Parts: sequence; C-alpha cells; structure tokens
Amino acid sequence: MATSTILLPGEVVPTDQLPKLKKGTLTLGPGLRHIPPSTILSTTAGALHVDHKKSALWLEHSNGRYQPAGGDLVIAQVHHGGAESYSCSLTPYTPFASLGQLAFEGANKKTRPQLKAGDLVYARVSKASKWDDTEIECFNSGTGKAEGMGPLKGGMLFQVSPLFARRLMMGTDKDGTSKGGVVVLEEVGEKVKFEVAVGRNGRVWVDSGSVRETLAVGKLLVQADEQGLNVEAQRKAVKKVLKDV
Amino acid sequence: MPHQPAPSTNEQAFLLSALRENIRLDARPLDAYRPIDLSFPGGPDEYGTADVRIGKTRVLAKISAEVVAPYADRKFEGVFTIACELSPMASAAWEVGRQDQAEILLSRLLEKTIRRSGALDTESLCIVAGAKCFHIRADIHVLDHDGNLVDAACLALIAALLHFRRPDVEIHGEEVTVFPLREREPVKLSMQHQPFCITTSYFDGGLIMLQDATRLEEACREGEVVVSMNRFGEVCSMAKYGGAPVDGLGLLACTKAALEKVKMLDRLVRERLAEDEKRRDKGGLMKELRAENER
Repeated sequence: MATSTILLPGEVVPTDQLPKLKKGTLTLGPGLRHIPPSTILSTTAGALHVDHKKSALWLEHSNGRYQPAGGDLVIAQVHHGGAESYSCSLTPYTPFASLGQLAFEGANKKTRPQLKAGDLVYARVSKASKWDDTEIECFNSGTGKAEGMGPLKGGMLFQVSPLFARRLMMGTDKDGTSKGGVVVLEEVGEKVKFEVAVGRNGRVWVDSGSVRETLAVGKLLVQADEQGLNVEAQRKAVKKVLKDV
Repeated sequence: MPHQPAPSTNEQAFLLSALRENIRLDARPLDAYRPIDLSFPGGPDEYGTADVRIGKTRVLAKISAEVVAPYADRKFEGVFTIACELSPMASAAWEVGRQDQAEILLSRLLEKTIRRSGALDTESLCIVAGAKCFHIRADIHVLDHDGNLVDAACLALIAALLHFRRPDVEIHGEEVTVFPLREREPVKLSMQHQPFCITTSYFDGGLIMLQDATRLEEACREGEVVVSMNRFGEVCSMAKYGGAPVDGLGLLACTKAALEKVKMLDRLVRERLAEDEKRRDKGGLMKELRAENER
C-alpha cells in the first residue's frame, strides 16, 4: 500500500477504502468497530491497513499497552504458583494470566517443570476474553509439542513497544527481505551467536552466553525501536556496535 | 493491587553478572551519574520552581510563601515545611492517598537533610516576633520515576530554594505591609549551606558499589547508603535503611565518593542559577518601569 490513511478515534472508515468484497465476510481487526447496519468506526488513532485477499482491515498503532489476543506468543513472568496453575504477568499492573501446571511439553504430575516466582516462560495465549482470565500454555495443545516454547533460562529481558515486537515477528518475504523492516537480528546474527525470543507483549529475551554480546543485541533492538531507525540506519548502528564487541 | 513488580530472576542474575564484569546496563561507569538537566521554568516574575531530570527520572520542586502566625514555642522563627507526594503519574505502583514506603523514606530523608541541618535560616523568616512570620512551603512532585528519586528530589529542592524570592515586607510598629513582586524587588531566602543527598547502592555484600541507580538496579540491590553533605565535606546525615551490612571502610568510601558528586552538583546548581539570572535580568525593576522608550 503506497499511501496509508490515518484515522483518528471515532472517524468513519471511508467506503472506498474497504476491500472489494464479492462474497464472504469482512474481517475487522484491532482498532475498528462495526456499528450496524453498515458503519465502520475507528476506536483509536492509527494507520489503516487493508488486506484485499483476506478481506480484512485493521488499524496499526504504536501506543498503548499490550492486549492479549488468542494465538499470540508472549514472554510471561511467573508471579506465584497455585495447585493447578501458575499466575503469570504479561504486562505490569494488569490481572495475571494463568498457565496450567501441566501445560508443558511432555509434562505429567511427576515430570512437570518446577517454576519459581520471577521465572520467565515463552508461551502462547490460548484463551483471551474480555470477561475471563487470560490463559497461556507452553506447548501446542493439538500436537503436544513444545514448538520452541517453555521456560527461559539465563539471558536478559529487554522492553520494546508492542508494535516493534510485532514487526520483529513478521518474518521475511520469499526473497529474504524483512516484512517488518527490522534487520537488526539478521545483521548481528552474521557475526554473533545468540538465542532470541520475542513476545508480543513488548518483551524480547536475548541470550548469547556473554554479557557484552547479550547487552549489545538488546541495546540495538531498543535503539531501533525508540529512535525509529529505518533499515539503512539499523545496518549502520549494527556495524558500529559490532566493532566494539 | 498495584505493587511495584519485581524484576524477573533472569534480569536480576544478568544484572549481577554484568556488574561483576564492571558493566552497567546503560554502559556508564559505576560511579557516574546519568546526564543531569536542571532548569527553572516560569516567567520573569515566577521564582522558586526547579525541574530536575536525571536520565528518565524527573522531579519538580515548587516553593511558595505566605504570612502566618509562628508556633507558640518558636516565636522568633518562621515555618518551613516540605510536602512530597508520589502520584500515579510517576509510577503505577503509587496511589493517591495511600502512603508508600518510598514516600515516607523520601520525605524523612529530605526533612533530615535540609530542615534539620539548618540549611534554611528560619529565623530570617520572622516578621513580627510571636505574631507574624513567613511560612515557606516546598512541594515536591515526582513526574517520572526511573530510580534515584532521593538525589533528584534533594537537588530539585535545594535549587528551588536558592532560586526562590519571597516578597519584601515593611514594618511600622505592629503594621506589616507585604509588597507584591511588581512593586518591590523580592528578597532571596537566606541559606546557610547547601546539602545534597548522594545515594550509593551496593551489591554482592558490599563488594560492588555504584551511584545513581536506575529503577532496575534499585530493585536488585542489596541495600543503599544515603549520605548528605555540603560542598565543604560536612556530613549532615547518613541513612541506611536495612539491607546487608556494610563495614566501616565501605562507609568511608561512600562519603569520599559522595563529596566528589556533591561538588559536581553544587557547581551545576550555581551555573544554572547564574544562567537563569542572566536570562531574567532586564536591568532591574527601575529600567522595566521606565516610561521612555529606546529611541
């Protein structure tokens, strides 16, 4: 999309922006609200994005805290454990999400992982509702496989904005260009070995074994987020930092 | 429900292992402060507001004066009070109306450092003994909290007190006239010395000492020592609220390092006050009130 429409809260989405709908239903993403019969209002300020193939539209905005949605990968911090589940915090000062004691790969009553308060887990939001507690799990409940999720040991946590975390997770195109416009991890990865886990709740966990390298990767990410660096600037920043490490 | 969430075990362990390698997460030396910004917002007639930023921490101090009756047991002294309230604006862990531990400690430290060390000469605030005196009130507002509140609040308070001008008064027998700022050049407060608080946080049983801790470092530290002293090296107070024990040599090291920082802060306040004076100086009230124009 060459030009994006910026909407303010309460504005009506112009009808010529809607996807050309032949049949099927229109999908509304975050930041939009349907008022019957045929008005679509924005509920927050942001740029309008339209996907014609999926006949979906949503608002993209960088402000605000993370709102859990089903299927999101998040980094949660265990607050306390209960008989059946752990209470974990996804964002500070919000109600806890519950993580079942047995919601891990290959876990049964005897082999379940023992987590302490303050431990970090990489998990997926399995249930998110306005009226109920959020639930998260550390395995794919369909296949029983961990798929990279589970407790995070060592390393360091860095805070980024939820939008930046989303951009980090967009992956690459077929020709290898980053869809989200973030190349920091790829660029650093050519020189330094590290593990990374990105949570949609604006948390990035980095571990490379050495303090200096871990810090360098985390700082680059935070810098790219806070200063809004484009791809070229990111490459430059990475080169500068790699010289010192 | 709000309580300051503790950092995760991963963060705590990483911070400690980084400190053992002499690395701070924001890449400054252990004894370095974040960039300090001090400004005196307000128009030409507004005195006594100081805005301090240390990194992301931001504190605003505002001084005000009014005429009241002095306390019956202190007839020859004015009144000086420090009010600090931590609002949810700075951190979601603080509620309005609910006193937090941090708030009590902060106001107690400021009280000890500035009021009880006699930084402000309260006798000079007396107008008519036993009948009228000035009540100087200092309000501390924490606008953003990223650690090291005590140092920032103390710096803001001292800077605001030095900047403040109270209205001039004239006494004829029992009659007291208070002149508005436009009518007569206001008067500076008489300060006897300028103490500053320097907080030293320690880790690893006192082996690692650092200054100007960020919020994460504050959450992970084993304890802190707050030393307040003036630029002549006179210690006004020393506070250590709990935490792991520190030996005598460690305390001496704290005060020695604090003196250096106090000198730096004192120089900063002087510089900024001089700059502000230059900015506000329009050649005195007489020049401003002149009727003729520049031609």
